[in-house]
Amino acid sequence: MKDDSITPIHYVMLLPGVGFIILFLGSSIFLTVAQSFGLFSITGHSRFTLDNWKVIAAQESLDSVFFSLKMGILSSIGTVLFTFPVALFLRKGGAGKGFLGSLIKIPLFIPALVAAFLIVNLISYHGIVNELLMKLGLLKEPLRMLNDKFGWGVIVIQIWKNLPFVLLILMASLASVRDDTVDAARNLGAGTWQVLFKIYIPLTMPGILVSMILMFIKAFGDFPITSIAGPPYPSSIAFRMHATATLYQEWDQAAVLGVIIIGSALFVIWAYSRLADLVKGGE
Amino acid sequence: MAITNPSVATLAVPLHVLQARRIRRFYIMLTVFFVVVQLVWIGTPILMAVLWSLVNPDYPWSFPNLFPTHLAPAPWIYVFKYTNIIRALKTSYSVAPFAVALSFLFSLPTAYVLGRKNIPGKKIFNLIVLLPIIMPGMVVALFLSRVFTALHLSQTFFGLVLAHTLMGLPYMIRVLTTSFQTIPQDVIDAAENLGAGTFVKIRDVFLPMVRPGLLAGMIFAFTTSIEEFNLTFVIGTPTFETIPTILYSFMGYNFIRTNAAVVALVMMTPNIIMLFIVERFLKSDYLSASLGKM
Repeated sequence: MKDDSITPIHYVMLLPGVGFIILFLGSSIFLTVAQSFGLFSITGHSRFTLDNWKVIAAQESLDSVFFSLKMGILSSIGTVLFTFPVALFLRKGGAGKGFLGSLIKIPLFIPALVAAFLIVNLISYHGIVNELLMKLGLLKEPLRMLNDKFGWGVIVIQIWKNLPFVLLILMASLASVRDDTVDAARNLGAGTWQVLFKIYIPLTMPGILVSMILMFIKAFGDFPITSIAGPPYPSSIAFRMHATATLYQEWDQAAVLGVIIIGSALFVIWAYSRLADLVKGGE
Repeated sequence: MAITNPSVATLAVPLHVLQARRIRRFYIMLTVFFVVVQLVWIGTPILMAVLWSLVNPDYPWSFPNLFPTHLAPAPWIYVFKYTNIIRALKTSYSVAPFAVALSFLFSLPTAYVLGRKNIPGKKIFNLIVLLPIIMPGMVVALFLSRVFTALHLSQTFFGLVLAHTLMGLPYMIRVLTTSFQTIPQDVIDAAENLGAGTFVKIRDVFLPMVRPGLLAGMIFAFTTSIEEFNLTFVIGTPTFETIPTILYSFMGYNFIRTNAAVVALVMMTPNIIMLFIVERFLKSDYLSASLGKM
């Protein structure tokens, strides 16, 4: 039983952790929003204005926003699609699975930039993947997978790096699916696909949604991976924001892009959590 | 009754046993398949990096050769002699322990309250704790740098530690909160009945009981600090270079693959070793505890 007596001292105890985050994160979010309207500006006089928001209308900004949205959505779907079968397979223990589990977790501990470099080596124009495919006679010309227009290189890196991260979340929610439920479904004549679509996927939906949210935010707000493996144009929105601020010294316009990034992240979280509620309500 | 006819003997094996065998064989094949796929999936990129880091500069590795013709440790010597990697390593590995220690100190009281008290507004506090992970890194970095500049923390070691602490806090707080939740109240009551004061309770009850979670949290905070890029890039460079920012500079305008390969290997080897050492603390419940319930 928990002790339910709450004294003001408990709020004070929250301060080091929660207070620290509010102080630094809150102030930077506040600054982003305020600067996007021209307040607290470092360049010249501060006054309320909507002029900075015209930056959205620029074709480059629009392209960047759509490109980052595309990367976020495709990376989150791709990672979950790749991870779910592995998680399903690892659900039950068995010979060799401990080893397999540690092997899979390796990219979790490989920093994102290193992961980008590792994959860049594979998929570059004369990388081993292209070379092998050509030696096997499957390709006549090397495929452009790196810095390609669509951004496949970025998606591959995101999947490679984040598979174990999503795996941990999916494994945790698969662990809550009871064997009885699966057995009961099988006894009632459900086939493999029916068990997958009627039992496993609906019951792990919260985990799937959480991993998709986190993946979306990672890929949408990504700076280093896209700048290394992404197309020359458009750049990711995070890159555009950084360049706007530090290269062009247009901090107020960068703030607008920052607000767009934060807003999109919050919107996605809200949409997914609505979706999660719908899934829960449907049962 | 002895069975003499061999065909009867094979029939005597019941069908479900045969089926079970077939299923078991299928599972073994599936395991082998997944292990092979993973070895290729994880192994090839690492192997390629190792090969690239050993290319002899006098015999460049280029198009028709599937493997480098001459191997030499030249890139390693070059990187360690002529680049700032040693300084970057020092910075990385001295910021991380401070960041871990600070985030532990900040987390402990907060996690205690979140884990053991039904404080009003708990849901909101739990969400705030996750914000550093949820908020896109570059936005936070860019505008936090403005705050840091105002506070004269930009381009300082202490500022870097504070920034890394901020990124490590969510993992630490969430993992410790779960650990505090699992302590049975009986144990605390017993300690109190035997006359334990606050200090004794912390030392003899709370700390030992949250230790597994504490280790998991420390590992997450440590690796987060080692691989933190956005904040370091904006707040630290050019005064401070960590391994991620130095790798980024090697992969940008002056892209020299052999050097980048060396830095990549230097950066990931300690992490992978750590992964295998701490494997048993890394049960998925810790991560799901820190992120699963949003």
